[in-house]
Amino acid sequence: MTHLGIFVRRPQVQSLSFIVLLFAAWEVAADTELLRPYQFPAPSTIAAAAWETATVGFPEGVRLSTHALVTLRRVFEGFLLSTAVAIPLGLLIGWFPVLDRLTVPVITFGRSVATLSLLPLVIVWFGTGELSKVLLIAYGCFWVMLGNVIAGVKYINPVLIRAARTMETNGVELFTHVVLPAALPRIFAGARVSLGVGFMVIVGAEMIGTIRGLGALIMEARTYYRADISFVGMVALGVLGFGLAVALNWLERWLLPWNRGLEDIRR
Amino acid sequence: MSVAPPKIEIVGLAKRYDGSDPGRPDVLGRIDLTVAENEFVSLVGRSGCGKTTLLNIIAGLVAPSAGAVRVSGKPVMKPGDGKGMVFQQHALFPWLTALQNVQFGTRARPLLSQEKKREAEQLLELVGLSAYANHYPAALSGGMQQRVAIARALALDPQILLMDEPFGALDEITRIDMQHELLRVWSSRRKTIVFVTHSISEALMLSDRVVVMSAHPGAIATELRIALPRPRRPTHAEMVALHDQIWRYLN
Amino acid sequence: MRASTRWCDAALGAMGSLAVLVLWEVMARWGGADPSIFPPPSIAVVTALHHVSIEDLLANTAISLQRIVLGFALGASLGVVLAVAGGWYHLLGNLLRPVVELLRPIPPLAWIPISIVWFGLGESSKVFVIFFAAFFPVFTNTWKGMSGIDPVLLRAGQTMDVSGPSLLFRVAVPAAMPDIATGLRISWGLSFGVLVAAELIAADFGLGHMIMNARELGQVDVIILGIVIIGIVNLVTDWAIALLIRRHLGNWHPT
Repeated sequence: MTHLGIFVRRPQVQSLSFIVLLFAAWEVAADTELLRPYQFPAPSTIAAAAWETATVGFPEGVRLSTHALVTLRRVFEGFLLSTAVAIPLGLLIGWFPVLDRLTVPVITFGRSVATLSLLPLVIVWFGTGELSKVLLIAYGCFWVMLGNVIAGVKYINPVLIRAARTMETNGVELFTHVVLPAALPRIFAGARVSLGVGFMVIVGAEMIGTIRGLGALIMEARTYYRADISFVGMVALGVLGFGLAVALNWLERWLLPWNRGLEDIRR
Repeated sequence: MSVAPPKIEIVGLAKRYDGSDPGRPDVLGRIDLTVAENEFVSLVGRSGCGKTTLLNIIAGLVAPSAGAVRVSGKPVMKPGDGKGMVFQQHALFPWLTALQNVQFGTRARPLLSQEKKREAEQLLELVGLSAYANHYPAALSGGMQQRVAIARALALDPQILLMDEPFGALDEITRIDMQHELLRVWSSRRKTIVFVTHSISEALMLSDRVVVMSAHPGAIATELRIALPRPRRPTHAEMVALHDQIWRYLN
Repeated sequence: MRASTRWCDAALGAMGSLAVLVLWEVMARWGGADPSIFPPPSIAVVTALHHVSIEDLLANTAISLQRIVLGFALGASLGVVLAVAGGWYHLLGNLLRPVVELLRPIPPLAWIPISIVWFGLGESSKVFVIFFAAFFPVFTNTWKGMSGIDPVLLRAGQTMDVSGPSLLFRVAVPAAMPDIATGLRISWGLSFGVLVAAELIAADFGLGHMIMNARELGQVDVIILGIVIIGIVNLVTDWAIALLIRRHLGNWHPT
């Protein structure tokens, strides 16, 4: 087999060339108006729009970075709020079976409620300001986080508890030194999914009643027939989401070094 | 007196590691081996002597670097084709019941579907698991799973049966039970068997001939014919002597 | 589990839910808030039914479900087909996987405005967004299932004269089923949330629209009713899927 043959067979080369090919085809199709430029702006147009939103801003004065930061801020505020409630609550419920049985139907129903269906209610109660959005995200994040914290405590390997007891560790000490660390991987997994959920919720929440934030950007751009800017918003969201996932990976590796190899934790 | 043609013929077989430095000894150096029809041959050796690789080559799952394997006179080109195999992990399909798993082995046979079902039922009865025909593998114990696996391999009506440490994952007591089971099944449905194991006593219990393999490169150190009638007692003087002999070869 | 323990659990569960409802009732009645904004549960359902008829409710629910089912069916089937093919045939996989991975981080709801640009304000735009949402979990999980197939199963199949497409469909795909099923279940739940959001933002029928409309009319009770119905439908359909999965795949794993 020739060297070129081997090179072409490498999966990364195939993947990369395919993507480049797709982009090139897209560009050509848009430029030759095979695809309507209004509906399907060329990659070059989108790139130009990206520059525009990054510098001039859309609406004027509101730059891409501002939108992104606003979105991120809302997500984090909602996430932190939900975590602050979910972790202590989850630890209690997970540890005391009575509490677990009391709350099962409530939790099951609570997490079945579509978070964004609460948007109108939250607007009626709290207006269209930041609070509504943060609360909405907090709701979405809360149930995921709670479920994982409870599971993290409930499904601790009983052998660990027994071993700790034989070493005279009981009560609060048992909790902080054995239960909590053992549950941490699951809790962390919950945080990741939770953040992802928050991310999804905010996009929808920002499409109603606000002009700042990436979701708002995407929506507003359409109203002004700037599909290219909508795409910029979408790409920004994608990049943000990807960046978040990578950051969380690093964080997990740093905080939980003993967790290597435990990738998938089944529900 | 005419000699029956060998069931399995291995001539000049060798297997090199893929893409590594030429200084490294081969997985299998030159291997020459014949197995007669209905003979029970065990391959014994330490880890790394290439016995599993040799088995996989006979099965057609792995291609040799040199040499050839012939089964019933035909060169081995690909897996299947009458070369039944039993693996250390039972490899039963978890989505099929015991009966369905055994029936799966009859797929390629030129039988009507009712005949295939009956064959599967008979084989399950042979291994003593008729009562569990509609159970799923997950509900069966390790020993039972291997029995189903053996029934499934037999369902192919295979030319040869290749067994790769089939009882290696079982506890000792179950293991001894399974050895007796295998002999019982074999007396009912005679097949040519090549059996890989790292247990000397297991090889001695079961085989007509024990092939002792050495490592780095994998090669045949010696072959011992066991002429004792079955069932064999491990404490029998000759068994103990053979055990010692093989042990010395392996060290 | 003894029957008495099960009754005990059920009773505790009922107590817990009752407690929440009672709390809600108490807060609404004696909390000092305007009852039209914060209605107690005892009144909410009744007044809601004054504002919107049962037929309307059923019609809206039907429309919403229709959209989800269509979008889900399209997205899930494509997800399974592409992931199975891509997982089996490496060239295809190398081409498909990066494209999917590039698109995946974009939240499904972000596609709503573009979807409207492409398909207008009609049914297609909603179905498209759901199709998008449903595709990714199914693809990812199916891919995971295909990559995680125990190789000994494939080898066993080969020794039994099964090869090529036959090996794919008779051994590989069944072996990947548990992951495919998980993907389908997750995908359905996601589709639900996305549909509701899409209907809130831009639709003229369906439960999401009903809620949004009620907000403009100031009918908080209808909003609450809508939220509850969505929650119940989501719950019931998820249970149904879980039940189906348990029945067909439950035998695979040791109990």
